[in-house]
Amino acid sequence: MTNEEKYNKAFIESFRVDQDRLKGLKYQDINAWDSIGHMLLMTALEDEFGIELDIDDITDFSNYEEGKKILSKYDVNLNI
Amino acid sequence: MPRLEDVVIHMRLTSKIQLMAGSESYEKMLYLKPLVPFDNTVIQFFEALSMSLMKHPKGRDFPDIISFGFFSRKTNIKRLKKSYKNLKSNVVGRGVSFHIAPSNVPINFAYSFVVGLLSGNACVVRVSSKSFPQTDIVSNAIASLLEKPEFTELKRYISIVKYERNIEINNYFSSLCDVRIIWGGNNTISELRKSPLPPRSFDVTFSDRYSFCIIKAKEYLDIQNKKNIAIDFYNDTYLFDQNACSSPRLIYWVGSSNVVLKAKEVFWSFLHELLVEKNYKLQPMTAINKYTASCRAALDYNNVVISRLPDNLISRIDLDSLPADLPEHTCEGGSYFEYSDEMPDKFLGIVSRKFQTLTYIGFDRAELSSLLVGRGLLGLDRIVPCGKAAEFGLIWDGYDLIRHMSRVVSIE
Repeated sequence: MTNEEKYNKAFIESFRVDQDRLKGLKYQDINAWDSIGHMLLMTALEDEFGIELDIDDITDFSNYEEGKKILSKYDVNLNI
Repeated sequence: MPRLEDVVIHMRLTSKIQLMAGSESYEKMLYLKPLVPFDNTVIQFFEALSMSLMKHPKGRDFPDIISFGFFSRKTNIKRLKKSYKNLKSNVVGRGVSFHIAPSNVPINFAYSFVVGLLSGNACVVRVSSKSFPQTDIVSNAIASLLEKPEFTELKRYISIVKYERNIEINNYFSSLCDVRIIWGGNNTISELRKSPLPPRSFDVTFSDRYSFCIIKAKEYLDIQNKKNIAIDFYNDTYLFDQNACSSPRLIYWVGSSNVVLKAKEVFWSFLHELLVEKNYKLQPMTAINKYTASCRAALDYNNVVISRLPDNLISRIDLDSLPADLPEHTCEGGSYFEYSDEMPDKFLGIVSRKFQTLTYIGFDRAELSSLLVGRGLLGLDRIVPCGKAAEFGLIWDGYDLIRHMSRVVSIE
């Protein structure tokens, strides 16, 4: 699986959404991405990439695109 | 050899104890080696527990389970461990911890359990005898993990139990423990204190507390996303029907009267909208309690203004002074006193031992810290941003739980 696929999988499984919904998706755009969904997503990303997210990054992770930038700080390369 | 009489008493007691997870050899716990704080197997265990809860098919239905899973995940436990890096190698758990969980917050037992194990103690955790799906989900997850070969050793350190109120069982577990952790407020504490502890053992008690929120009106009005603030406030209050010790009961507004007036209007209307959206269900009994609380305030205090609101979801009682007995005037389910002042420090005069959490909106940390630190206050244990009132930490109610529940060996 590519990093991109892993990244998408974390979203899809945490929020149970379709892949075509991901582009431009923001925190609280959908019911599933509430504070609880956010915890699920952060944990899924940590597991998927074997990283430990900083609290500030967890707070700043506010949309699908921003998240890619944040992960690049952890040496996870995604197409930005 | 144990006396036959003791064996019979023991059998009679244990038949009334329902084991939810872990080991039933309660007395053998006395002879277990205490662990070091943040023992590696314990960390692995919580990592596995977190994973199993985060992936639990019913997890999404219980925000508190997900929050607990998030708290106990590897990254967070490692972060907590780092904050104790000054803890020396001559520190070990005290032995056996006996936890009495409260009945108002179902998931609380799990946090108490984390603290007990992380500080290096064997844990007997009494969950609330009220039935909650969360208790079953978390206990079952613990039970099935403890069947794995890597955690067989750890199983002997854990007993999650459930029993109806019973002084004999309380006596029994109290006689075995080195530390007794009593949640659930003043009545539970007095109940448990009827059961004697061994001479060297002690209680960590979480009594009834009082919490409030301070808001700078102008700064609040400047905040862009007011719905987020409403969600944060909801999570501090309505999520537990305002029953948690850390739920604010007084809103202290700072600013000139016209700005405060405007801010109140916006703040409460965003909250009301959210309550409607979340379909918050108010029990009829709670609505009556809230009405009674308003009437009582009107009788006991001068110049009280009770806001006229479209429904019973929010009760607002406006005060023109801060009476010292305000912590005795509390009600659950969304009942708030409000006080406004141009100065932020008028509450200092009423802070008593009962005060626990201060949440804030529109302040920065340094500002509040300079307002409070060094004032010699008898109360106020936590100052956290709005939205984090119920967020559990290893320092709680003024106790550093890891240090408090472990033993330091002095070597010179």
